[in-house]
Amino acid sequence: MDARLRRVNKEIADCKNDKTSQIKIELIDESPFHLKGSFPGPEGTPYEGGYFEVDIVIPESYPFQPVKMKFITKVYHPNVSSASGAICLDILKDAWSPVLTLKSTLISLQSLLCSPEPNDPQDAEVAKHYMTSKSSFDDTAVYWTQVYAGGPGPKDKKGKGSGKERDEVAIAGLEKAHVDRFEQWDSKEIDALRRLNYRGPNIAQISDDRVVEELLK
Amino acid sequence: MADTPKTPSTPQNLRRPKELPLDSDAEDELPPLELPSANGLLNFDSDDFSNLTPAQIYEMNQKLLNDSVPTRPLIDILAPMSTLLSEYENGSPSFLKQIDWLIKQGFDRVRRTRGDGDCFYRSLGFAYVESLINSQDREFAVASSLSMLSSTKDTLDKAGIERLVYEDFYDEFTFLIESITRPDPQGLVLNSDRLLSAFQSPETSNAIVIYLRFLTSAQIRLNREDFEGFVVHPDTKDPMDLDSFCANVVQAMGKEADNVEIEALCRALQLNVDVAYLNGVREDGVDFITFRNDSNSQAPPLILLYRPGHYDILAKHST
Repeated sequence: MDARLRRVNKEIADCKNDKTSQIKIELIDESPFHLKGSFPGPEGTPYEGGYFEVDIVIPESYPFQPVKMKFITKVYHPNVSSASGAICLDILKDAWSPVLTLKSTLISLQSLLCSPEPNDPQDAEVAKHYMTSKSSFDDTAVYWTQVYAGGPGPKDKKGKGSGKERDEVAIAGLEKAHVDRFEQWDSKEIDALRRLNYRGPNIAQISDDRVVEELLK
Repeated sequence: MADTPKTPSTPQNLRRPKELPLDSDAEDELPPLELPSANGLLNFDSDDFSNLTPAQIYEMNQKLLNDSVPTRPLIDILAPMSTLLSEYENGSPSFLKQIDWLIKQGFDRVRRTRGDGDCFYRSLGFAYVESLINSQDREFAVASSLSMLSSTKDTLDKAGIERLVYEDFYDEFTFLIESITRPDPQGLVLNSDRLLSAFQSPETSNAIVIYLRFLTSAQIRLNREDFEGFVVHPDTKDPMDLDSFCANVVQAMGKEADNVEIEALCRALQLNVDVAYLNGVREDGVDFITFRNDSNSQAPPLILLYRPGHYDILAKHST
């Protein structure tokens, strides 16, 4: 049996036998080199209550080369692409070591959700949101956790937790009152405001003319 | 901290000599890249790097690195020292004089390794197994080596390295050493030629490199007081936290080693090692940095050749 397969089999078995860990690793298809990992969002973060799935591809020279991981579940986080799920984390790149396993790497992803690194972002827009208005960022992250990861939704806010209809304004991390000012309700306005980072203290800096200009682009 | 009497066992040679240039892998420098054509080669449509995600840039770097060193094997046959002379023909004459000096001392051959950042561990691993093959009492040398290696598992366990991640590498390493005295199904035992082909196969070669890296890391972390204060970031040379040093520099593939790692690994394997510094800082000889950790300090050392940023194996003509 080749060394990569031997190692991956051991890792999968080790993860199965570990009843205390919250990390799960499953096969996606026949291949032992394409897997799905999953873990609960960490407590005390906007991701709490959500369940996050990660696509895992084991490269040919594993464990000498890093495993490839990206989020399947959409995550609102500065170090995760909101579009593709790509992850910016040093151990998945040049800080990889064969001492790491699928399980320990998934645990590192779970900790990444606790401690974002907005100065080394994967998603610049999300990072900008995190830096300009942390509370509004948290609202959006909670909302995404609810919509995409089965989270409980916002706490202490009545009438919002149904989760049936997707609130595009909240998904973009904007506030409804700000979007309403630009009347016509479609995704174009939301996109424009999102691009302008029309959030928190920035709103005072962005004139209505500037918004209209962005809309006409 | 560095010179407190509490650390008497820390040898002076943990400090890198000040005059050494700090660049790396002079011999395997990449040719200048023409970026647009390199892009085409790598299936990136855009000629604008700012459009690439960090992950894409990383992938591209890795691919370029992999493509840039295809010609040199992981470790090569013994070559005459004179092959090094040609590399310095247009460079500093002091390098040429130092090479001549080494040849006059009897170091007339060199076994070169690929400049992939793992050259120290690969050179040391090869030289170590070869010394077992060449020892006068092979049975005894192999048996002592296996018993010493078996005890290194405890070192790794104590340092919290999971058995799951090291046992395959350990098995690969000890299997190679066992085959020095135990014939394979064809009735062959390991000799220098078979050792070379084993070390040229990435699976075996990298397994041994990584086992040596784990062992180095464990040795450093279990003897923190000996090494703390000597640990610096390999690029910036700024002091570095010992645990992140072990995680990011020692345990990761492709990261170069320095005197801290050499000292730690020689202690873990109980080895005597000499490192000849071919660095052009003097013309009338070559400095040897010596590491003595064999219980017999007179045991012949393994000899490595250091050129700024790179290690090879140095050999004396067999007499």
